[in-house]
Amino acid sequence: MSIALLVTVGGLTTVGLYLITARSLSRILLGFSILGHAAVIALLTAGGPPGNAPLADRDSASDIANPVPQALALTAIVISFGLTLFLLALARRQQALTGDDLVEDDLEDKRIAARLQTASTEATA
Amino acid sequence: MIASSSPIVRLGIRAASPPAVMVGVYLLFAGHNQPGGGFAAGLVFGAVVALRTVAGLQRPSRAHELMAIGILIIASVALLPIIWGDALLDQHVVSVDIPLLGKIKTGSALPFDLGVTAVVVGLLLAVLDGLGAPELAEEPATLRPRSLR
Amino acid sequence: MVLVLLGFHLAGVGMVLALGRRLGIRPLLALGGTAPAISAVWAVVQLIAGSSDRTSMVTWVGGLDLELRFKVDSLALLMTLLVSGIGALVFIYAIGYFNRDTTGGSRFSASLLGFSASMVGLVWADSVWTLFIFWELTSVTSFLLVGHKNQDPSVLAAARRALMITGAGGLILLAGLLVLAQQANTTIISELPAIGGTSGTIAAILVLVGAATKSAQVPFHVWLPGAMAAPTPVSAYLHSATMVKAGVLLLAVTGPAFANVEAFTTLGLAFGLTSMLWGAVGALRQGDAKLILAWGTISQLGLMVTLLALGTGKAVFAAISLLFAHALFKAALFLIVGEVDVRTGTRQIDQLGGLASSMPLSFAAAALAGLSMAGAPPLLGFTAKEAALESLATLDGVQQIVVSVGVGAGSVLTVAYTLRFVFGVFGPGPPTVVAPRRWLMTIPALTLASLGFVGYLVLGWVNDIVRPAAVELNAAADYSLLRWPGLTAPFGASLGILAVGTALGFGVIRRNVGTPEPKGARTADALLDGVLVAASRATGRIQHGSLPVYLTVMAATASLAALPFFTGLDTSGLVLANQPLEMVLAAAILVSATAGAFVGSRLGAALTLGAVGTGVSGLFVLYGAPDLALTQLLVETIVVVGFVIGLGHLAQQFPAASGGWRLTRLAVSVLGGLSVTAALAAAAANSVGQAPLADLKAGAVDEGGGNNIVNVILTDMRALDTLGEVVVLATVALGILALANVRPPEVPG
Repeated sequence: MSIALLVTVGGLTTVGLYLITARSLSRILLGFSILGHAAVIALLTAGGPPGNAPLADRDSASDIANPVPQALALTAIVISFGLTLFLLALARRQQALTGDDLVEDDLEDKRIAARLQTASTEATA
Repeated sequence: MIASSSPIVRLGIRAASPPAVMVGVYLLFAGHNQPGGGFAAGLVFGAVVALRTVAGLQRPSRAHELMAIGILIIASVALLPIIWGDALLDQHVVSVDIPLLGKIKTGSALPFDLGVTAVVVGLLLAVLDGLGAPELAEEPATLRPRSLR
Repeated sequence: MVLVLLGFHLAGVGMVLALGRRLGIRPLLALGGTAPAISAVWAVVQLIAGSSDRTSMVTWVGGLDLELRFKVDSLALLMTLLVSGIGALVFIYAIGYFNRDTTGGSRFSASLLGFSASMVGLVWADSVWTLFIFWELTSVTSFLLVGHKNQDPSVLAAARRALMITGAGGLILLAGLLVLAQQANTTIISELPAIGGTSGTIAAILVLVGAATKSAQVPFHVWLPGAMAAPTPVSAYLHSATMVKAGVLLLAVTGPAFANVEAFTTLGLAFGLTSMLWGAVGALRQGDAKLILAWGTISQLGLMVTLLALGTGKAVFAAISLLFAHALFKAALFLIVGEVDVRTGTRQIDQLGGLASSMPLSFAAAALAGLSMAGAPPLLGFTAKEAALESLATLDGVQQIVVSVGVGAGSVLTVAYTLRFVFGVFGPGPPTVVAPRRWLMTIPALTLASLGFVGYLVLGWVNDIVRPAAVELNAAADYSLLRWPGLTAPFGASLGILAVGTALGFGVIRRNVGTPEPKGARTADALLDGVLVAASRATGRIQHGSLPVYLTVMAATASLAALPFFTGLDTSGLVLANQPLEMVLAAAILVSATAGAFVGSRLGAALTLGAVGTGVSGLFVLYGAPDLALTQLLVETIVVVGFVIGLGHLAQQFPAASGGWRLTRLAVSVLGGLSVTAALAAAAANSVGQAPLADLKAGAVDEGGGNNIVNVILTDMRALDTLGEVVVLATVALGILALANVRPPEVPG
């Protein structure tokens, strides 16, 4: 396994996590996209040493790269692509509604939290 | 943002569209034997549509229809084998001789890829429509007051 | 056949619920009692015909041994007789117990029948999973029945207590069964081998605790007195004759597997002896006749657990005999208390008087059942108690002394509380006004009570039922109940117990007539409340509504879970880079990504994203993945364009974030990055073998008909995944179109 790729995956994960915990949806979107890259590279490293393109008519079986992680990675790219586009639409909607793309606190969650706090103080009282 | 009003860009996009579509078709058909495939082809078609949309050359429409057709094709490829007693999604390989191209070996993977392409193009049309790309091309003036907010 | 019988029960539940609105409670109960009656008749027929083992199963997931597996052996048949026979009588009794216009009839009848079905399923179960499912079902139906009078807060508290304790016990039991099945390498109960070792000890302890919660053993007994809030038919059925026996039954069937586990005997004796004594003492402290019986049940169950923990042939035989006898006399006594309650309006022994003459049939039944409970001849309880005492003679050393003293003292106290019960309820006292007799209540009680006497007369038949059941559990249990044991030491002990117990009993008949503070129940409730309050507080603190905080907490948790990977790092397989160009690309990717995280302008961020994607495509080229490189490049282009189009309306700069929170995020992100790196390195160091490249290649060409192996995998080998992926994309598209269909909120004015 190559240290360069390991470090790349680690670095991309760090940046991705940092971005998805931001308040701005466009940053979150960037973060998801970057986490997707990290995942795909991780899949690639799992496939073993690099080789030639897995085309059956060009090389012998011993020279080609492992095609299974590539197929998995292709699926991962597509899903990550779909997710990115969806987040883009969410950001766009938020912008249309509020003029900005900030993720607001979930009011319903806040309400539940407040209710439970009162309930538990009543129970102990 | 994109110089949609520039006639040179419009002309360029108009001229580049047919070759780009050719590339997409190639990717779709070659995908089973060469790098490429339905998804990549769909992205190429989608990129063409996107460029044409922001240049004001067309409007992104018929996203639903394309997706419906794509899913219908894929569902047929998936379910038809069951009717003649094979497993779900069972692959059928056929060889045909086509003039000019020679002997082509293909199979039910081709319609499957075609379905994927249709869905991807449909998705991109939906994105363009949903994100308001046509307005971007037609009324750049409306952008300014909002971005100043 | 067992499946058909279970089907009858379920069909009954369905019919009762369907007809619930049209019929009154009495027809519904009559309908509900049909299935248990059929089941009881079937059991009798099997017993007369000489039962042969029957196994039925419905497989769910074959490879995991997940199946509904039933086996009707002799023990199961004995239990079926008790569960269904007493069940049918209880249904008849309930018709008399409830007034014609009582509401909630369908709920009660359906729950009671549902319990009956769960209980027969439990006794027939021959797979640990089947056993567990029906075990939990009995807990749930018991909860519904205890909480039947759902307007009264104290009743609801009692129901909750019963559910929580038996439910928690069920989870502990599940853990125990998992260990047991793992260690024994089978899930079939009748084929469990004897296990040992540390895991054997762990499994034994867990199973014992599970059984102790269900069979109300000290200190888990606190739910049983509270459960007396249930209507009396329920108490008679669930909390004396059947459900509380589930724990005893469990110990009986798993006992052979734990035969070599010392902890099973030690802990079992501790539970059993403590419960036997504490239950009997508790019975002497109660003034409510029903509670006397409930505490007495705890004591009797303690004796059964003690005998099963000993596990010798004689002890197992005695335990099964006692199980049989106890079900008959205790159910009868509960039914009598219910009748007294309905006809006089009270169960307090100091308010009852002269019932011996005003309720003569009930008095006769109570005398018969009471004598059986005290272990006096000529009744079934006497023979069972003799067998129990007999089994103590074969022990030796300290164990013999401890168990003998415990059982002896418990038996004395049993005689005492029996006297207290019979004389308290039917003896002299303030004259009590008695409502007219309800035959449907009297007859079932009288039937069960006289069965104890009939059983003594036809002891041979009883032996034919009990002996095979005991022999199945322990081949050495080939004994018989004796009508007259002769002048043996145990018989002497028995007489002594009766004498001392009688003296003690007459001394305490009129003492302690109030109901003592249920301290145990209070403690249990306080514990439960504490858990709920802690849960509310934790929820309030954790779920406060901020998405970034949620994500940070999740990322931190996941990273911490990856910590073990750091310990086993193996750097031997690592190289700096497989190709020199990798380093360049890696550096470019990392620099672009870092820039993307900190750049202030949205357009700049979009461009760095494009740069990262391009770099990743380069890596794909290096690693021989042209499909990925092509796709990634196209995706990246479209995402960047989409970013520009979609967010063109937004301000050019990102909003600023607060400093302290940024540092926390940064720390968690770095931790996450390190964890992923470590996990990946650990995974790489533990390669499971070579990829079957030649097979994949041949498969792609021959079956897939394509040379691009990756594409063949996607369209053929993993086509179902691709199908799912396409559906995801279509869903995303529909979502985007739906999200786009929005107008900015109208500003009023």
